[in-house]
Amino acid sequence: MQSLFRIFMPVFVCILGTISWADGDTPATISAPAAGSVTPAEGLAAFDRVYEVVSHPRCANCHTGPDNVPMWYGDSAGPARPHGMNINAGQSRIGVETLICSSCHRTSADLRSAPHAPPRAGLDWQLAPVEFEWFGKTPAEICAQLSDPDRNGGRDWMGLAEHLVDDAGHFGFVLWGWNPGGGRDPAPYSLQAHVDDVLIWGVAGQPCPVDTN
Amino acid sequence: MQASFTVNGTVRSVDVPEDMPLLWILRDKIGLMGTKYGCGIAQCGACTVHLDGIAVRSCQVRAYELDGAEITTIEGLGTPDTPHPVQEAWIETQVAQCGYCQSGQIMQAVSMLSDNPSPSDDEIDDVMSGNLCRCGTYPRIREAVRLAIQKQGA
Repeated sequence: MQSLFRIFMPVFVCILGTISWADGDTPATISAPAAGSVTPAEGLAAFDRVYEVVSHPRCANCHTGPDNVPMWYGDSAGPARPHGMNINAGQSRIGVETLICSSCHRTSADLRSAPHAPPRAGLDWQLAPVEFEWFGKTPAEICAQLSDPDRNGGRDWMGLAEHLVDDAGHFGFVLWGWNPGGGRDPAPYSLQAHVDDVLIWGVAGQPCPVDTN
Repeated sequence: MQASFTVNGTVRSVDVPEDMPLLWILRDKIGLMGTKYGCGIAQCGACTVHLDGIAVRSCQVRAYELDGAEITTIEGLGTPDTPHPVQEAWIETQVAQCGYCQSGQIMQAVSMLSDNPSPSDDEIDDVMSGNLCRCGTYPRIREAVRLAIQKQGA
């Protein structure tokens, strides 16, 4: 009974609108397949799902390029468009040159927000580093970036999976992607499925798709 | 919850729900009516105040963030006899039409000039674009910011 409670407790809490877990628990776990157990085809299929996540507006809208302009929408709410109010996060990517993101996007583990209100997260709101430009990029381009330690924060595939779990453990943007509040579309699949897919892709040798056009 | 913080130099302690927005604490609990409700979702900037020296939308700041914070509202910026240089510039330029958004505009402008004492017109627009004015006083806001830059000796 106790184990059932531990399994379903996060679900119950999410229904109530607050995300929480007990001390010592994590929002996702890392359990990589055995070395040599994943074929390249299975690795590519896993990357296809990874791409679905990272190119989703909940992720890609703040993984924008050197113009430092975050995006809005791009989901069921309508076509993607630059963030309103002429927002530019600057080279700092956190808005210190103009209007700091946290003027509106407050730092809080309470991920709830009203429709159309600025979402919040447990880490200071910001754009991802410009090397992580995902918005509008092809699967091959994103796969190359994720595979390149010079452009992915010096991480191997296990480091990428650990980054996801660590960020989510701080109620950060990774966790927010699946709990965006305000009636926003969440990223596809789940945090655990995404971590698992990164691990499958990594064990398969990080195979990358080839752009066909 | 009990939250203790400083507003315009005075220590305040309020017993409020933990998710109560700072905007309503200022207006309904403390009685400072200069900070305005516009949209409640950080789309307009009318409720801008300073929290630990940084301009924030008070409709988005919740009570649980406030313990130990230092808040400055439009009432704490200057006095009728000795207005803040930005308030002086606003008066001399006669920026306001209906005036409803202007306390938020002024608080944002003060914060901007604190960070960047001599912003270009583009930089003024970048920062002030988050503060909407349905009377369309934007040209006079920019003019007043330029005057405030002179007054502050940048």
